[in-house]
Amino acid sequence: MNQDQPDIQEILRSVIAYTEDVAERSKGSERYDALCAAYLLSAVARELTLGPEQSRAQHAKLSALTNASGSLADLYAVFCRNTRSGGYDKKWNEAFKFALQQTIDKVAVSNPQHLDVIHRK
Amino acid sequence: MNDSVKSPHIIADLTIALRAAIKRRHGEGADIGNIKVAVLGGSNRTLLFDLHESGNQRRLVLRQETYRAATSPFLAPHDQFKLLQIAHRHGLPVPEPIFELNAADNLGRGFVMSCIEGDSLPKVLLNDPTYAPARKRFASQTGEILAQLHGIDSGEANFLAHTADSIDPLAAQIARYDSYGEYHPAIDVGIRWLETRRPSASKESIVHGDYRNGNLILGPQGIRGVLDWECAHLGSAVEDIAWVCLRSWRYGKLDKAVGGMGTREDLYQAYRANGGRALEPDEVHWWEVFGLLRWAVLNIMQASGHISGERRSLAFASCGRNASMIEYDLLMTINGQYSQE
Repeated sequence: MNQDQPDIQEILRSVIAYTEDVAERSKGSERYDALCAAYLLSAVARELTLGPEQSRAQHAKLSALTNASGSLADLYAVFCRNTRSGGYDKKWNEAFKFALQQTIDKVAVSNPQHLDVIHRK
Repeated sequence: MNDSVKSPHIIADLTIALRAAIKRRHGEGADIGNIKVAVLGGSNRTLLFDLHESGNQRRLVLRQETYRAATSPFLAPHDQFKLLQIAHRHGLPVPEPIFELNAADNLGRGFVMSCIEGDSLPKVLLNDPTYAPARKRFASQTGEILAQLHGIDSGEANFLAHTADSIDPLAAQIARYDSYGEYHPAIDVGIRWLETRRPSASKESIVHGDYRNGNLILGPQGIRGVLDWECAHLGSAVEDIAWVCLRSWRYGKLDKAVGGMGTREDLYQAYRANGGRALEPDEVHWWEVFGLLRWAVLNIMQASGHISGERRSLAFASCGRNASMIEYDLLMTINGQYSQE
């Protein structure tokens, strides 16, 4: 780390606590905006922790599934095009499994409480 | 809320224009007051105001269009107004349509309708003891209202036939999704699943398109008003039935399939008892998967408006990340983990 304290997670915790406090003592659109801010910053905090490993694992799985190379965004594009055109109809379960895991990874960042207990870590 | 909506000088300008619009129609003696901006909607700005006329006072609502795009899923205000007239004429619980805006009003596109008093906030409706009787009736009342809507001759709303959702609702979602230039594996899995299992064509009905907890005004005794007709189109009646049962509207009350308040059994029974068609589980399941896909695409649309700078707001930014939760429900519904409980 090349920066002084507080670190990123500590800064995020502080700002999230502030926005939640603003929401608590606000009404209407101000309260709603504050809740949205807290929600988005909480996702940022989780993405910083979980994101790199999720991306690495997904890239490995997609490379094998698509037989393609490129960035994770490139592989998403290949997967989506093939899925939609029926290219994975014969390995539907495998394609479905990847889509579900990719979605679980996203929800683990956006709102892990939304996941069914079978998918919570 | 979007800054452009709550800015004081915008509200002041709107007030001046609205007062002039009222005076043009109701005479110089008429005036307006007690103006309040409702929370940000998906495609409309909503202003509540009192009309003072001949010693009488009436609460009205101005709906102004705020979002126009080639891929917009929302009906033009003129069509919404005509639809409200039809629904009102048939006795459905909807706001009374009062007048449409015109060029002389300098208020853009929109209309004025009556205000129905009550509450629409899901958190209040699902938890406040005052609304316990309304919660008990919600599913059966929804069945009655939707049966009444779907029983109207769709020919009365043939101006909806040209919309993308009337022509092919799935193709409409795909076109919108593609227009945002994003890749969501769950959505493409959903598209493939839906395309390979399309239900056979059924009788064409007027479909509300967004009938759900949040777009309804409730009083303590039940539903008083059906709002937000901007997603209406012609199509399968089952789309409305499935939409109101999505997990997205249950707000944690997962055992109550109908808006977190009632059961499917009560909904289906009331729908049939009031002239609605028989509902096949496979068809409802298809439309639920479709509904979740559509709801995910709508959230991507809102985030796209934020990212492009066209409609910046924290709420719309949040929609972008909310899409993941809807995609999760979509896949769990496809694979049967979330059955039609």
